[in-house]
Amino acid sequence: MLKKLARISSGLYVALCFAFFYVPIIITMIFSFNSSRSFAKYTGFSLRWYQALINDSEIMAAVGVSVSVALFATAISTVLGTITAIGLSKSRRILKEWILNINNIPIMNPDIVTAIGLMILFTSLKIEKGYITMLLAHICFCTPYVITSVYPKIRELDNNIANAAMDLGATPFQALVKVIVPMIKPGIYAGMLLAFTMSIDDFVISYFVSGNGVENISMIVYNATKRINPTINALSTIVILAIVFAVVVVKLAPKVRSTSWFCALNEKIPKKTRRVFEAVCGVLIFVILLRCGGDAKTLKVYNAGEYIDDSLVTAFEEEYGCKVIYETFDSNESMYTKVMSGEKYDIIIPSDYMIERLAKEKFLQEIDKDRLKNLGNIMPRLMNQPFDPENKYSIPYFWGNVGILYDKTVVKTEDLEAGWEVLRNPAYKDNIYMYNSERDSFMIALKALGYSLNTSDRAELDRAYKWLVEQKERVNPIYMGDEVIDSMIAGNKAMAIVYSGDAAYIMSENENLGFYTPQSGTNLWIDGMVITNECKNDDLAYKWIDFMLEPQNASLNSETVGYSSPVEEAYKEISMTVYADNEAYVPRQDNQNDEFFRYQEPEIKRYCAELWTKVKSQ
Amino acid sequence: MKYFKSLVRPYLVWSFIVVLVPLFMIFLYAVTNSGNSLINIQFTLNNFGKFVEPVYLEVFINSIRLGLITVAICLVLGYSMAYIIARQKEKVQNFLILLVTIPMWINMLIRIYAWKSILEPLGLMHTDFAVMVGQICEFLPFMIIPIHTSLSKMDKSFVEAAYDLGANPVQTFFKVTFKLSIPGVLNGVIMVFLLSISTFMIPQILGGGQYMLIGNLIEKQFIEVGDWNFGSAVSLLLALIILFSIRWMKKIDKGEN
Repeated sequence: MLKKLARISSGLYVALCFAFFYVPIIITMIFSFNSSRSFAKYTGFSLRWYQALINDSEIMAAVGVSVSVALFATAISTVLGTITAIGLSKSRRILKEWILNINNIPIMNPDIVTAIGLMILFTSLKIEKGYITMLLAHICFCTPYVITSVYPKIRELDNNIANAAMDLGATPFQALVKVIVPMIKPGIYAGMLLAFTMSIDDFVISYFVSGNGVENISMIVYNATKRINPTINALSTIVILAIVFAVVVVKLAPKVRSTSWFCALNEKIPKKTRRVFEAVCGVLIFVILLRCGGDAKTLKVYNAGEYIDDSLVTAFEEEYGCKVIYETFDSNESMYTKVMSGEKYDIIIPSDYMIERLAKEKFLQEIDKDRLKNLGNIMPRLMNQPFDPENKYSIPYFWGNVGILYDKTVVKTEDLEAGWEVLRNPAYKDNIYMYNSERDSFMIALKALGYSLNTSDRAELDRAYKWLVEQKERVNPIYMGDEVIDSMIAGNKAMAIVYSGDAAYIMSENENLGFYTPQSGTNLWIDGMVITNECKNDDLAYKWIDFMLEPQNASLNSETVGYSSPVEEAYKEISMTVYADNEAYVPRQDNQNDEFFRYQEPEIKRYCAELWTKVKSQ
Repeated sequence: MKYFKSLVRPYLVWSFIVVLVPLFMIFLYAVTNSGNSLINIQFTLNNFGKFVEPVYLEVFINSIRLGLITVAICLVLGYSMAYIIARQKEKVQNFLILLVTIPMWINMLIRIYAWKSILEPLGLMHTDFAVMVGQICEFLPFMIIPIHTSLSKMDKSFVEAAYDLGANPVQTFFKVTFKLSIPGVLNGVIMVFLLSISTFMIPQILGGGQYMLIGNLIEKQFIEVGDWNFGSAVSLLLALIILFSIRWMKKIDKGEN
């Protein structure tokens, strides 16, 4: 009786563990066939996300990169690893131990350390980040696995076999290829398999060493975690099925191979057909490579995430017969870091204070206004702002302010009268999203305390820091990036700090929400398009700016992302149609306390960065 | 035989460039000031001095604490799992182990994304719970497999002998079975600890922006802040922590034998 009970409970336990592993995977697969966007409700069977997947050129390019990098890295590291392992077995002991120890470093080191090591290496060698750096990095971390799987097999080998072959007249090369390699085949296969899966699964290393718009599947999925995108479910499903299929085939292969029909099949395929097959594979890989590397006329644009209507990029490409490499950043600071690390762009779309900084550091070209025929479309009051007088370097892209997005059904109106202090009201404990950005968070604290958001007074900054720490103690806010959009549409929290444009979009999806900008002032901002000094095709760059200022395009862009357009016609149209009665689409412009961010002295900047890290890790 | 000796040469050069040089450069960045050119190097220990500041100390303590909790939970769950699996018939064992390995082959990001889509509608995102669930789900197989390997290699007659000599099941388990499986346990512990202490995607995605662990700190320095020197110092420290925990575990292993 007791034994039976033990058996049942252990069976149950194993089942639960497997459920833990497999339920998320299975749910992803089920929801890839969902007809709606939602993750909460299954509304019916549909293949629309698979269709979207095929049509999504960015994802398909990433699949190409993942597969081709994995194939190349596997092939190269298998050869390199195998010959090294063979050579190793014949080397002197000291050398052998040395190499095996070095070989263990990439295996034992945390991925992130390997990744930054390679990133520093490539940057200092001035190798442009992209496909090649990714491939080199993958070969770097795959080879050790091949060596560790092949080496033990060689040690089992009889030392005299190769000698015997050579005594019988084989050249060393023949002895290697015809005698040694066939005998260590199981080890080579195992290493190959390991290398392939390591490469195709990799995220951390690719994330640090890649650039220029070259992304693999993992990087696409990582970026997609910010916004719900069921296309990723479809992609995941295909990847999962492919892997399950591959694992099962590999596990069952020894059995299948021994059955007669497989042998017969194998023998029946004439060598010629096999050659043709191999050639086709080779060509395929070559084509994939070409697609990744080939370029005619290109424009490289660097913009914030979720900040454009994608169809505009395609439309621009078609109109001017060029290719746009479109990359996105999380924050002005991460953009700056990337540009500093040597990445080159033609057009960047940063915010006001960052434009000031880039201009000060001589990163930007002066804009020749005669080359822009749509410049007159911009609202005059958005021009000539203190961060870039006379718009020497930047042309407005979107503008707005920062405020509190709140759930009208949860937050009491009288609580809002406290201004920014409402964010420290214990009644909303665990119910607040802050914005995961140093400057925006300090802006709130400084404005709540009645200071200027551009203060360089350390005492004021210290007080702002205290304000934020106390906020953390009282209400335990969560610091979010773009994920806040979906979370607030779902109504997860009572309040969130958002940019006016995101607020406008979120409010159009969830009618319970309102937008509030405290009287004590907020940050007024303008994001502008700038042309860098590195720009290779300034004609195309000017065309891009003009294209974005076209009223039709500006309307479409503004409607999709929810931000207020600087183009007068577009702004009027959208504020009267799509976002009519949406208080967030029309940022206030009459409050004396509202300010633009200005360039921060490096010393103050570093001081704030340190305080901010402190706030977050309290 | 001497013909094949030279085959190690390409890798010798290659590993020097892509393994040793980067490590040396991390070290170099860690002990210099920012804004240095190669001609005008100024050495400093300031980057390491920062660790003593309570903020960063806390990041380290939190990461190690979270790593240890993950290891503990994985050890309990993984050991019982491996133990149950090891007691099955061989065919069943092979099948169950295959089921354990399949998730390991599936892209980690895809599985984290899957968890996000489950936890989000339940309102459980951005909690310690979410991060723990993500970590355990990702890393548990790395605990199960080595433990299972040592359990299945174990000579069953030891257990029988213990019973014959009058040990009760509890004594038998702790004094015989567990002791003999220690190499597997240590392997699993090292793997899970290494993975959980250096990850930055799981806390980033499931924990939200306020989740700051060593991995996130490094990523921030390189991607956002641009302080490569401090970032390198943190990485160096992380590598050392891992190195020493491996050494320490190996010592325990030897002590046991």
